[in-house]
Amino acid sequence: MGNNAAIRRFDARKAGQPLDLFESASRLPVVLELLSTPWLRRGSDVNGPARVEVTVPVEWDAERGRPGSFLRKGKRYEVDQVVTQWAIDTRWWDRDRAVSRRCFRVVARGGVYDLAYDRLGEQWLLVGVID
Amino acid sequence: MTGFVHLHVHSHFSFMDGAVSLDALVQRAKRLGMESLALTDHQGLSGAIRFYRAARSAGVRPIIGAEIVVETAGTPGCEADLPPAERLTRPHPAGFGRASAAGFHLTLLVKDLTGYRNLCRLLSAAHLRSASADDDAGGTRSVVTLSDLHRLSEGLIALSGCQRGEVGASIVAGVPWRAKEAAARLARCFAPGDFYIELTHTMTPESGDHLRSLSDLARSLSLPVVATNNVHYLSRADAPLHDVLSAVGARRALPGPLGRPNAELYFKGASEMRRLFSRYPEACDATLEIAARCDLDLGLGAFHFPVVELARGETAYSVLSKLAWRGLEERYRPMTPEAVGRLQHELAVIEKLGFPAYFLVVKDIVDFARRSGIRYSGRGSAGDSIVTYALGITDADPIAHSLLFERFLNPERRQMPDIDVDFDSARRDEVIAYIYKRFGAEHVAMIATVNTMTAKSAVRVAAKALGHPQAEVDAFSRHLPWTSARKIREVLETYPECRNHPLRDARHELLLDLTEKLDHVPMHLGTHLGGFLITAEPVDSWTPLQWAAKGTVVSQYDKDDVEALGLVKMDILGLRMHSAISQTVDLARARVGADAVPEPFLLPRDDPKVYDTIAAADTVGMFQLESSGQRNLAMRLQERDFEDIIAAISLFRPGPLEAEMIVPFIRRRHGIEPVIVPHPGMGACLADSYGVIIYQEQVLQVVRAVAGFSLAEADSFRRAMTKDRSRAEMESLHGEFVRRSVALGCTADVAEEVFRQLQGFAAYGFNKAHAACFAVVSYASAWLKTYYPAEFAAAILDNEPMGFYSPRLVLDDARRHGIEVLPPHVNASGADCGVEKDGRAIRVGLKSLLNMNARLLRAIVEERAVRPFDDLADFLRRTRAEIDAAESLIRVGALEGLGNTDAGRPPTRDEQLVLLPELKATLTREGSGGERALLLAPSHARPPEDPSHPSGWSVARRLGAELELLGLAVTCHPFDLARDDLTARGVVWARDLPACRDRSRIVVAGLRERAQTPRTRSGKRVCFLTLEDPTGLIDVVVFPEALQRSGETIVKHRSYIVEGVLQNNQERGIAVIADIVRPYVVRASGGTPVRLRRGVGTAPMGPFRGSAGHSDEQEWEAAESAATT
Repeated sequence: MGNNAAIRRFDARKAGQPLDLFESASRLPVVLELLSTPWLRRGSDVNGPARVEVTVPVEWDAERGRPGSFLRKGKRYEVDQVVTQWAIDTRWWDRDRAVSRRCFRVVARGGVYDLAYDRLGEQWLLVGVID
Repeated sequence: MTGFVHLHVHSHFSFMDGAVSLDALVQRAKRLGMESLALTDHQGLSGAIRFYRAARSAGVRPIIGAEIVVETAGTPGCEADLPPAERLTRPHPAGFGRASAAGFHLTLLVKDLTGYRNLCRLLSAAHLRSASADDDAGGTRSVVTLSDLHRLSEGLIALSGCQRGEVGASIVAGVPWRAKEAAARLARCFAPGDFYIELTHTMTPESGDHLRSLSDLARSLSLPVVATNNVHYLSRADAPLHDVLSAVGARRALPGPLGRPNAELYFKGASEMRRLFSRYPEACDATLEIAARCDLDLGLGAFHFPVVELARGETAYSVLSKLAWRGLEERYRPMTPEAVGRLQHELAVIEKLGFPAYFLVVKDIVDFARRSGIRYSGRGSAGDSIVTYALGITDADPIAHSLLFERFLNPERRQMPDIDVDFDSARRDEVIAYIYKRFGAEHVAMIATVNTMTAKSAVRVAAKALGHPQAEVDAFSRHLPWTSARKIREVLETYPECRNHPLRDARHELLLDLTEKLDHVPMHLGTHLGGFLITAEPVDSWTPLQWAAKGTVVSQYDKDDVEALGLVKMDILGLRMHSAISQTVDLARARVGADAVPEPFLLPRDDPKVYDTIAAADTVGMFQLESSGQRNLAMRLQERDFEDIIAAISLFRPGPLEAEMIVPFIRRRHGIEPVIVPHPGMGACLADSYGVIIYQEQVLQVVRAVAGFSLAEADSFRRAMTKDRSRAEMESLHGEFVRRSVALGCTADVAEEVFRQLQGFAAYGFNKAHAACFAVVSYASAWLKTYYPAEFAAAILDNEPMGFYSPRLVLDDARRHGIEVLPPHVNASGADCGVEKDGRAIRVGLKSLLNMNARLLRAIVEERAVRPFDDLADFLRRTRAEIDAAESLIRVGALEGLGNTDAGRPPTRDEQLVLLPELKATLTREGSGGERALLLAPSHARPPEDPSHPSGWSVARRLGAELELLGLAVTCHPFDLARDDLTARGVVWARDLPACRDRSRIVVAGLRERAQTPRTRSGKRVCFLTLEDPTGLIDVVVFPEALQRSGETIVKHRSYIVEGVLQNNQERGIAVIADIVRPYVVRASGGTPVRLRRGVGTAPMGPFRGSAGHSDEQEWEAAESAATT
């Protein structure tokens, strides 16, 4: 990892290459590398991800220190991979505007979602549906 | 590999950019099982030595380092030469004060002693690049140059820095070519393998991209990577404190210039760091490799003395020995076997411990002072040594006063001796200049102090961070006592003067929370009052140097750090009493002749008249004997000899006060209670103090007499008893003492009782040598006050601020001694106060007048030497006095009686004030003041209030002007104007108190001179008020209950009527126990209130006038105005 190895390994010249680049079984590593590569911008980044903020139940994977799965619209979404994670702690001195969250951008069921644990409200939120 | 070592860590010593103490860092590292830990504070090593010691004692290997600001490496030219898209924003300045610099960061770690010395040199070269403290060298001060980095990189490992390093900043800004260029150029400054690309996971959405880019960059340059977390605080919960500090450090309100997005710069554990850097395990491994390569041994425990020039064939010991024997001959005539034996013993110990060179250095400096006629005196435990006495460093005879060498230098404890010397403060700079010349400027630096936050400063910091306007910040910190920030809530709850404090409002909860957390946090480096570091090698190879505010070069280490490094530290302290004594002697010799006034330090100390003055508590101005507590003690003690002065100085100290030694001492001295000691040997040791253990030296003597310890063992025993000991350790000491006492024939009961008394007093005893050294100066000042009171008072006034009392009170005291007080006058006054009428009058000097300046003062003295001033016009023409200075002179009567009006009399002050702008305008226009200007006296000046006085002003108005412009009451004591009113109220004057009955109810009145509020043993606050009326001083004690009623009055007013009960007995002395303290407004005849306002906070030319609570001056003024209107 780290050298876009999965992308390089992907055989684009294979006969009968489907139009859908990611229909193969090996698509997940490629997706992850594309998501994390600095030289490629996502379409959703251009238009901005769909921002939402709904409470979602999240099962925490303590062993790996990341969300294991979450429940959305009655369906369980197993987290395949954490793409990136970040933290926000701002305006703690202003009770009405303080934010304290730990955020995870995850790949689950082929989509990319932003989950956030709100430390002040002590609850998990789905804050972004990227794809 | 598992494990992790934090290599980029900031502490409180990053000054306003670190929110964790060194101890907390070390303890956290230890708890997390980290074997090593680095400290990399901004721009310096101020915390490095204490970190080094704390880490080693905790079993954590310390790695010393610093995060420096380095010049731009990624582009050869100016930032502005680059296309806008490739320019980087210069990071906000790092570091604090004169050590701060704006530029890109680089983290340096010390591998070995060479690296340590190079880091010190690098930092010093950067900080001292500018020619002076106020020159920032075109913005390059405190920025390390690449050439210096190249030259001094041996023994150092560099990490490319956080996102404020040029490499990281270029990546964040999307300018990878520049990151590469900067990394390559910086790496070339270091040995291969010593430069790492630093990866910091900032936990932002972009940080993953940044880490990848940095990792790729490292690979492309074949450089290793290392993971750090740029630690600024211990846990996430501490991040707010860091935000507060960094915002206020940048003089902003929250969120501050950095606006950090999260709270992730905390001390993460190894597993958390490994998880964060799971894609870069080699970066975590590198922390362990680097830690293994850093192995600095500072060689603590060794001593490093400056070079002493010696003749061929001589050693430091041989020279010291010769000088000491020669000095002994002069000191002891006739020489005694005891003195000879003692000097032999001390010299042998000094030689054995390897300290002869240190004594020679001190001797060299005091010899210069003596040659130059600069008054000085050694003090502290150095007075316990006959060597220092023989060398002329101290002046109290150690044999005559039973001073013990082992208390100063214990052969069992090889610790650098500390000889403190006080010099005439007016000439201290000459001594300092000599030290620089003698040892070389590159071998001398001043020592730093670390200024930490108290309640006041912490409140200000928190309030500024939270965005309160300046006026509110001032209001919050005002009226807060000098106490620790941790106690802020308790202070607000319980202190009467805080009853209406704005911080009691519930809206300020967060501010108070922050204030508590800021307790004792270092704010910035200061300069030690007189501590100098002198080294054999260039001083910048031992310590980083930087500019101090006063334009001196200061080490980044404080005295404890310097001592730990084994370097020589000298305290060159200024003592204003020496200046006052010198000036008194000069004035007295000018009046009565040089031969008539002996050198006061060499007098036999047995003059009964001097002791009468002290015993009468007539001690205003006397060194160490003038405070209200000392005056009270003098009334009870009735000093009769020099030992009594030593006892008085020692008894009124925190330790003896806390142990309540004074009462048994006084009772036994006057035979009220018998002197009972459990062991005859103890009785012999404590004969001078009536069986009470006052002095530390007595503890040593008792332990030797009862248990047969050697003096060195006894000193170690005393030190052990004074420290916080576990029960087991104390039991061990106890067992040892009793066992050895019994072995010498003492019964177990007696041994137990002696130990119990030692245990009770050992921690509270005072160093007798220190008191004896002070007593020499005290006696000299007492002798001068007794025989030359006018000269002494004038000298005290000229050397303010000093002592316990305000200048106003010193002048009032002189008046009470029958000395006439003459107002300042341009035809009679010099800069300093003078003595006239054959020692019966003091002429107030001009230098303390508000608005006076050096040029005008010089002009007045020079022109008057030609001929006296005729009138206001003549004065203005010849001195070119500025209008505000001239106005001040007129208002205090310094131009009184000059010239004539057409009414055939000198002009009044009002007439002069009206004329002043017209004359100044004429002078400006024509270059001359109009020869006969005063004959055209204006008719629009207001009519005189008091036609009988040449000023035309009432007494109240004259007094008000004097207090405002001079801080002195020249005309009379303010309460002289209210005598009738006060008498009618039944007020008893200070001079009549001794004749009043003990426990009688009484009413007194006075101006507040001092208000002290120490805590009692039970933790309650008692206020000791020192009041002054025209006849003398009154001590008032306000106990907690009365303080609740009167606390606010005491703080917000300055003259009072006090009702209470008089205490007047030999055991306790004279004091009024207050029931209630009421404000009193002094009114002149006619009911006009007299303003007691002091406007001379800092006269430009003169000293700070008075020290009694000046910080609250404006508030008092407002309260007083409210009370008088």
